[in-house]
Amino acid sequence: MSASDANSAKTQTTSGGIGIANLPNQLHKIVTKKGTNLSIMVVGESGTGKTTFINTLLTTELIEPLEDAARRKKQMDKTVDINIHKAELEEKMFNVKLNVVDTPGFGDYVNNNDCWLPVVDFIENQYEQYLRQEQQPVRKGVVDMRVHACLYFIRPNGHTLKPLDVRAMKAIGARVNLIPVIAKADTLSPTALRQFKKRVMDVIDAQSIRIYQPPVESDDEAMTVRNKDIISAVPFAIIGSTQEVKTADGRHVKGRQYPWGVAEVENDQHCDFKKLRSLLIRTHMLDLISTTEEVHYDKYRTTQMKTRKFGEPKPRKVDNKKFREEEEMLRKRFTEKVKLEENRFRQWEQKLIAERDRLNKDLEQEHNLVKQLESEIEAISNVNSPNGKFFRK
Amino acid sequence: MKDGSGEDQNVAPSVYSHVSRPGSHRYKNAKKGLPFNVMLVGESGLGRTTFLNTLCERMVVAKAEKTNTEQAHIAEPMQFKHHTVEMEEDGMKIILNIIDTPGFGDGIDNENCFMQIQEYLETQFDEVLAEENRIKRNTKFKDSRVHALVYFITPTGHSLREIDIEMMRRLGSRVNIIPVIGRSDSLTPRELVLFKQRIMNDIAQYEIPVFSFPNGEDEEDEETVEENAELRAMMPFAVVGCEEVVNEDGRPVRVRNYPWGMVQVDNDEHSDFDRLRYVLLNSHIGDLRDRTQNEIYELYRTEKLSGATASGAMDDMGGLQQAMPVA
Repeated sequence: MSASDANSAKTQTTSGGIGIANLPNQLHKIVTKKGTNLSIMVVGESGTGKTTFINTLLTTELIEPLEDAARRKKQMDKTVDINIHKAELEEKMFNVKLNVVDTPGFGDYVNNNDCWLPVVDFIENQYEQYLRQEQQPVRKGVVDMRVHACLYFIRPNGHTLKPLDVRAMKAIGARVNLIPVIAKADTLSPTALRQFKKRVMDVIDAQSIRIYQPPVESDDEAMTVRNKDIISAVPFAIIGSTQEVKTADGRHVKGRQYPWGVAEVENDQHCDFKKLRSLLIRTHMLDLISTTEEVHYDKYRTTQMKTRKFGEPKPRKVDNKKFREEEEMLRKRFTEKVKLEENRFRQWEQKLIAERDRLNKDLEQEHNLVKQLESEIEAISNVNSPNGKFFRK
Repeated sequence: MKDGSGEDQNVAPSVYSHVSRPGSHRYKNAKKGLPFNVMLVGESGLGRTTFLNTLCERMVVAKAEKTNTEQAHIAEPMQFKHHTVEMEEDGMKIILNIIDTPGFGDGIDNENCFMQIQEYLETQFDEVLAEENRIKRNTKFKDSRVHALVYFITPTGHSLREIDIEMMRRLGSRVNIIPVIGRSDSLTPRELVLFKQRIMNDIAQYEIPVFSFPNGEDEEDEETVEENAELRAMMPFAVVGCEEVVNEDGRPVRVRNYPWGMVQVDNDEHSDFDRLRYVLLNSHIGDLRDRTQNEIYELYRTEKLSGATASGAMDDMGGLQQAMPVA
């Protein structure tokens, strides 16, 4: 082979075909058999339609609505929980292990300081878990719970993003694919919705919040057009409903029935549900997964490996206030218990000392008695033998 | 005055009966207009401003100016914005003073909001207290005690949130609280019924003091008793704000226009707005004013005076203190 050949790889099209073109089919079979893992997180204040959206997306009731008693308990709870719902979806022999992470309590209280920290911690913990598993000698059966997309539900107040939304989205968007969603869009008229969307995007730009940017250009012309369409709709205005209702013109659709009309879920004139579904599942699922692995996880890995040695555990962060309070309480309880025990021991010691003294006294008494008897014996022996030699033994 | 519900314009007994009560010098000014002070409280985006405009039937407040995007991460502090509108209802002139509270609940930590509102309410009481005890009183004294506080609840569809519970609990003893559901057109009729039920359950459970249309001590009129019971069953009122006015059969109709239909603001099947307006400006304006004066203000007065005498504090209480020996 000449040098020029090595440098300029010639593209050879074999006339008969040796079967390289069959590789995608083989890959298809392998991937189909392997299935995949998909984790979606939903973040937002309660009542923004997160549960309904997930159930609408999956056309199944994955997350059940809370019972009244459970909801009341959560009302004044002041904590943000992380709830994971797992499901296995199968379509045409293809398996997807789906994890949906819910965050009840987010932004629901009077004081919502740092309420995004549990969310951020969860995301980073998944990266950490994956990192550690990769570093194990045996790498089989790796559990991958890394979040591929985080949907942030914005309440449609018609004005602008709240400071809470800004702070939370900034923190979350830096670590995961963040997709902003306008919840319950059927409360804004089309004009108001357009203005609100523009306003939200303005704030996102001005505040340098990182959101998920799906790739636009593709080989397929139609694909490019569809992608552009999807991107222009961000943030997605959605309506969620698992119920079928009848419209005025007799169609049966998924939607919400009002006295003044039916708001349809899958009608592009009413909301962006179809576009979001396309983004999450039909067209961009692969991109979501690969950007998570190649961009976000990699960023985490790089920063961690720069400061930590291979195999070293992660240094514990300063825990949040509630934990500090609990720690204080535990510490107090512990000190109290210790004090109690010490008292007990001291009392015991006192008792023993008292006992010892008493015994000592008794001993002394006996000793005195013995001495007395001895002297009496001496006295008697002296009387009986004046020189006392006879009894000296 | 348009009355969308087409109800019989029966004379609201409570308002007119007070005119004849002895000693109610306030009502002598009925010709000049009955002052009625209403405070609107709720997070931004729940339709507070639109409600104000819809209630007064004119653009009292234009849409809020957009804040700087660069400042979007900082919460704006709560403000008290005053608007005065002259209304005429059933031949009676009302001077409607509305206090809007933009910025309530919009921050990340909203503990302070309650305190601010409480201080505002109590300041108005203090002014009246001081005025009452002056030797020479000001005949032109403007009574700015808040007669009703309309509190906007977010239409989550679940139940009350912590901020709703805390807010109404803390302020219920200082003002008549009328809870309403803002933007209620985001709930289907069934959802609305369940939501209202859960809210009332919460209110009972947490013993939250809201204005519950009480019957007067010697209320004999059966119709009034029935009316109050009906209103109690409607609580909290579901409101929608008007966005535009369209022409239907030559009549102007206040609506919100969606791709899937048109919400009629004054239609009783679409929202409780009209009923609420009637309550505020007509049927219960007297009750609200009276309860503020006779129960709420009196309670505050007792608390303040007994607390003051106990500590011997020298407040701005003018003549009253002079009667007591200073220790």
